[in-house]
Amino acid sequence: MKNTFLLLIFFTATFINAQDQYSKGMEKAMQLWSEQKITEASNLFERIAMAEDDNWLPYFYISVVNTTASFGEKDEQKLTQQLEKAKEFLDIAKRLSPDNAELLVQDAMINTAWMAFDGATYGPTLSPKNMQLYQKALQLAPENPRVILSKAEWDMGSARYFGKDTTPYCKDVERALELFATFKSDIPFYPSWGKERAEQVLAECKA
Amino acid sequence: MNNAQSSWAKTIIMKNFLTILFLSIIWVSSAQTTISGTVTDQSNNPIVGANVYLEGTYDGASTIEDGKFSFETTETDTQTLVISMLSYEPHYEVGDVTYLKNLNVQLVEAINQLTGVTLSAGTFEAGDNSKVSVLKPLDIVTTAGAAGDFVAALQTLPGTAAVNEDGRLFVRGGAAGETQVFIDGLRVFQPFNATANNIPTRGRFSPFLFKGITFSTGGYSAEYGQALSSVLLLNTTDTPDQEKTDIQVMSVGGGLGHTEIWGDQSLSINTQYINLSPYEALIPSTQGISWNSPYESISGEAVFRNKADKSMFKLYTGFNHAELDINQEDINFEDFVRFQLTNNNLYFNSSYKYFFDNDWTVTSGASISWDSNDIGIFENKIDAKETGSHLKLKVKKGFSSRFNLYFGAELFNVDYEEIFEAPDGFQSESAYNDQLFGAFVESDVFFSNKFAMKLGARVENTSVIDKFTISPRVSLAYQSSEKGQFSLAYGGFYQNPLTEVLRYDQTLDSEKTSHYIFNYQYLDNGKTFRAEAYYKDYDNLVKFDTELPQFDSQFNNLGGGYATGLDIFWRDNKSIENLDYWISYSYLDTERDYRNFREQATPNFAPKNSLSIVTKYWVDKLRSQVGLSYNYGSGRPYDNPNTSDFLAEKTKSFNNLSFNWAYLIDQQKILYFSVNNVLGFNNINNYQYANTPNVDGIFDRQTVRPSADSFFFVGFFWTISTDNKSNQLDNL
Repeated sequence: MKNTFLLLIFFTATFINAQDQYSKGMEKAMQLWSEQKITEASNLFERIAMAEDDNWLPYFYISVVNTTASFGEKDEQKLTQQLEKAKEFLDIAKRLSPDNAELLVQDAMINTAWMAFDGATYGPTLSPKNMQLYQKALQLAPENPRVILSKAEWDMGSARYFGKDTTPYCKDVERALELFATFKSDIPFYPSWGKERAEQVLAECKA
Repeated sequence: MNNAQSSWAKTIIMKNFLTILFLSIIWVSSAQTTISGTVTDQSNNPIVGANVYLEGTYDGASTIEDGKFSFETTETDTQTLVISMLSYEPHYEVGDVTYLKNLNVQLVEAINQLTGVTLSAGTFEAGDNSKVSVLKPLDIVTTAGAAGDFVAALQTLPGTAAVNEDGRLFVRGGAAGETQVFIDGLRVFQPFNATANNIPTRGRFSPFLFKGITFSTGGYSAEYGQALSSVLLLNTTDTPDQEKTDIQVMSVGGGLGHTEIWGDQSLSINTQYINLSPYEALIPSTQGISWNSPYESISGEAVFRNKADKSMFKLYTGFNHAELDINQEDINFEDFVRFQLTNNNLYFNSSYKYFFDNDWTVTSGASISWDSNDIGIFENKIDAKETGSHLKLKVKKGFSSRFNLYFGAELFNVDYEEIFEAPDGFQSESAYNDQLFGAFVESDVFFSNKFAMKLGARVENTSVIDKFTISPRVSLAYQSSEKGQFSLAYGGFYQNPLTEVLRYDQTLDSEKTSHYIFNYQYLDNGKTFRAEAYYKDYDNLVKFDTELPQFDSQFNNLGGGYATGLDIFWRDNKSIENLDYWISYSYLDTERDYRNFREQATPNFAPKNSLSIVTKYWVDKLRSQVGLSYNYGSGRPYDNPNTSDFLAEKTKSFNNLSFNWAYLIDQQKILYFSVNNVLGFNNINNYQYANTPNVDGIFDRQTVRPSADSFFFVGFFWTISTDNKSNQLDNL
């Protein structure tokens, strides 16, 4: 009995320790990222990903870090390397977590980074792909505020381009904002961005 | 978007700072070992930002400014230290942790297909994200003057000659029959629509079913044979983006297309009906012709695709039925000569690709075509049937990013039969069957990001000729600076004599060319410069002693010749906002002795200078793309029988300025307008001389001109898709 008890404590301790290591690593990576230490953050997420090879989150964040760093990048070679890396790790994340709407939104984000760099070249091929991605994401997670917000922003961009009214999409943004209040995930480090952005977009809607 | 990204990042951080407070951390105390070292590249420059870690653990660090790294670990015994960095090959050090100290690690650069050297001599590629792409599929079809025909768009590239009345590709002094077309690696036996003399043809295939087009003007891979000058490789799309229906209403007909997707399977269908009657009724073509019944065709294409984890299956089918009935001027006859044509063409192309473990890829495929032409000239009837098939197996093994090996084998079978029937009941028949076996092996070797080589060879045996041929192919590329590279290519190429000859004489040898190519390419962010000099040697060209090949002609292989020249290409889509333009110039010096030539001379299809300028301007306010293309070809040789010299005179130069306008009415509707030869240049294709001199002993002549100088086109394109966003701009 005593032995069993000790064994249980030992396992729990090991388990907690492993959990800790993951949380600690993720925290550290997030911190590096917030300090604009892009390479270090990406490298740490990569180390975590390699050690936790069945968890999609670190792979997702490698993709996110490299994508966000690409916005505003002018060096085509560097941009290409970053976005290809982002795509490569996103593909692994998708294999680990199929039919995950968050990953589809991230996929569209990579395409958007390409289009932001060179709209004339990548727009015609990538914008229909993005439309597909948002559509599918919405099917998978109709209540996910990030999906609704991203899709609404995309729709607004297209409408603006064709000189059409963008206000119908403001309702979607409002809905996204409502859902941000209630959207919860039990998974630690689950993506949680978007609320501030939704508020911003809604403010523009009302302006 | 930047705002969205940073606020997103902030949100994540905020949330997780809170989480960190609730974390309880249990430390397992154990001994710490320090792992340290320096990471450099091959020239000993420190590498910053490399990821260094013990495999399977959280322990690691990034290298700092001087390439140094250092971290502590609680791991013991033998571990694998991984050093990874973008654009370098990953490096592994295995050893006891206590020995992983003060390491000096040199990373080897990875072969980078994007910025590294490419094997590009002789090749123009149109694809996405490919470094060798000089054109994107979209560019091809939005070129003014091309009118949706991708072959016409390729004629704005250097190395091609403007042969206005033909429509096919004449590459570097080669005749049209010297270019072969392949879809997904499989031969297309009749790539062009059947047509009458002096009425230009078009490619049979709609460009938007293809994701990539590679146009090689010489020195191409050992995978392809039976083309003396050039190959055009078309690859069908793997997975369509979305389900949609396309409706086309045009001044010359209409079309309907639909794409359906079921998970990993998809089907795209495209049908088109073309009838030139309404156009001809409105703006009749009058120069040397009159239509009894203008060109009319109905065509359909379908692609079925099935994509699995490790395999890809595609089936392409094309059907085309075309009819025309025309009267054409002929100096030898008082009245116009009537020409009637009915063509049926059915083509299947299926391919299956499987990705095995360890970088083995096997591709197998088959194509088959049935083509029949019913022709009436005067009261004579010609009934021709051709069945062609191609079977192919190709294996690729990637040994590393530096070495790839390809090998394969293929079998072609061609059956040709023609029956000629005169009104008096005279009948003659000609036919042949040929089986051609080919095998090839080729390897790509990347010595570094600066130096690469392609080395290959091809053997062929054709049953009509029954001789083995061996063709070596070599291509070298050296990157001289970050943006510039030199390439060299050499190859031997064999091709069977054309059907029009083979059906009468099967004792001939293959015709042969050797290509020597020197290329310089400079790529700088949206700007492309290419210059390519070449020499092409022709041997064993078929000669005969009659006006045209016929049953009693005497044939031999004693012809030959050369073509040499310089091709220049410049493209810039960055310097001026919303403007994309390219300029192609070709200088060609060629002479040959073939067919019924009485001496070596420059053939009629080879102008000395060719120039194309293509511009596309996107007018954001009008949501329109406006395009202008200008084509120039210097005078082409023709033979004047009133002089003793052979093919010594030249037509005046060829000029064409075309204009197009695509207007996006909304996301799904496009209005398209184009005019070919806006300025109405009176171009002259050739002169036809009488077979016999007139009473004064002079051969009379008539001018052969395009049937109309200019051509107008109006189209309305409507896409209905689930997302209400896509349009057919990329189909125009």
